[in-house]
Amino acid sequence: MQKVVSVNLNGNAYQLEEPGYEALRAYLERAESRLQTNLDSVEVMADLEQAVAEKCGRYLGPNKTVVTAAEIETIILEMGPVETPESTAEAETSAGTGAKKRADEKGAPKRLYQIREGAMLSGVCKGIAAFFDMDVTVVRVVFVILAFATFGAWILAYLIMAIVIPYADTPEERAAAYGLRLKAQELLGQANLHTARALREWRRTWRRQQRVWQRSRNEQRHRHWGRHWERHMAEQAHGAMAGGPPPMGHFGQAMAGISLPVFAIINAAMFVAWILVMISAAMTGTIFGWSLPADLPRWGSLLVLFAIYFVLTAPLRAARHGAHHAWGPYYGPWAAISELFWLGFTVLFFWLAYQHIPQVHALLDQLPAFWQKRQISFVV
Amino acid sequence: MPIPISEKLTPIRKGLLELVILKIIAADKVYVADMLKLLRDTEFATQEGTLYPLLSKLRREQLVDYEWKESDAGPPRKYYKLTAEGRAQLAALNDYWKELNRTLAKLEK
Repeated sequence: MQKVVSVNLNGNAYQLEEPGYEALRAYLERAESRLQTNLDSVEVMADLEQAVAEKCGRYLGPNKTVVTAAEIETIILEMGPVETPESTAEAETSAGTGAKKRADEKGAPKRLYQIREGAMLSGVCKGIAAFFDMDVTVVRVVFVILAFATFGAWILAYLIMAIVIPYADTPEERAAAYGLRLKAQELLGQANLHTARALREWRRTWRRQQRVWQRSRNEQRHRHWGRHWERHMAEQAHGAMAGGPPPMGHFGQAMAGISLPVFAIINAAMFVAWILVMISAAMTGTIFGWSLPADLPRWGSLLVLFAIYFVLTAPLRAARHGAHHAWGPYYGPWAAISELFWLGFTVLFFWLAYQHIPQVHALLDQLPAFWQKRQISFVV
Repeated sequence: MPIPISEKLTPIRKGLLELVILKIIAADKVYVADMLKLLRDTEFATQEGTLYPLLSKLRREQLVDYEWKESDAGPPRKYYKLTAEGRAQLAALNDYWKELNRTLAKLEK
């Protein structure tokens, strides 16, 4: 006995055995993904469904109302894999000359659009991913990192992009958004694959770490600063104080008050050190004389430095956060003060490093010249 | 190891399929199932999975057009026909193909 699924194939209702339904769904999904760049994909899909429907009709009669899984298999074999003329052209050129492909590229220009379908916010990342033929998750991760690294300035950049970049709404625009393969894709190809894998791996460990920190932070807060002290105070104040325990342990607030500048100092020091390391790595390819691994491209080592910084400072940020929360309703102003502290210390440390560390002094002095050279090389 | 001959024949067939389809459509207004039936026992035997995307491409290029026709069994069907442009391109392709054959024949002598 088999379970039966009712399907609508381009307006015709058919009953298929469940495994047959699964097979057909897989076939049509594959077809749809192959037709992604086809301007008439909706129409072709309707044609294909219609063809399947007619083939199903062949197997049905007055005494047979269900299409069996085996019959669906036969139908799928008859239909054959969906091949777009472009995909066959590609297969040919990969074996033979590349001239045809280049002609195709010229014929279908690629343009940057926002893509609504599957967008998380506005569709900027989706559009950029389509433009460079990259995994959209990689683009999103890079955007989030940039948002952190630029202290929110990137969010503004994102908003501008969301306003300025047009949406791909018509089939023509959608096709242009995906376009045909771009040179950049070939360039990125290999690197892209490695980075994507590395990033995915990194994100996984990052999430795991974050869970651990969150847990320990919560425990700490509740046990030491929060409930424990609430209970403790309540016990002490029992009788003397009516109306139950205070909303938050005073000790907790005091601790947070002391720890706040300490955290801000450590965080600022790490931030300054990291920025200097990044500048040094970007300019000279070494970290103050200590050379980077040679087989890694420079942007790769910068990315690694990014990751290291965020992993190293994550517990600190978590702790600062915890300290903020100890202030309960005063969270907002407290966080602002803490940020100001941080900013002040950052500026201070930069100045101190510039004044007292000769290497840093030399490095920062070279910076304008380096920047100019960079710009010239971009122009040329 | 030599590449099997079939791998060299496939691209030739694929390249010619467009010409073949244009020829079929030029002869008569046809429905996809008719085209498949016509080609079934030839070297150009093909399947819906290939034919529908190809027809959509040809229609994009304005070489073919279709009209809906009621059928006695089931829903209306798309019947394809050539446009003037399609006819011109078919003639050009045909000439080129004959030219190729002539060249090949000449080389054999």
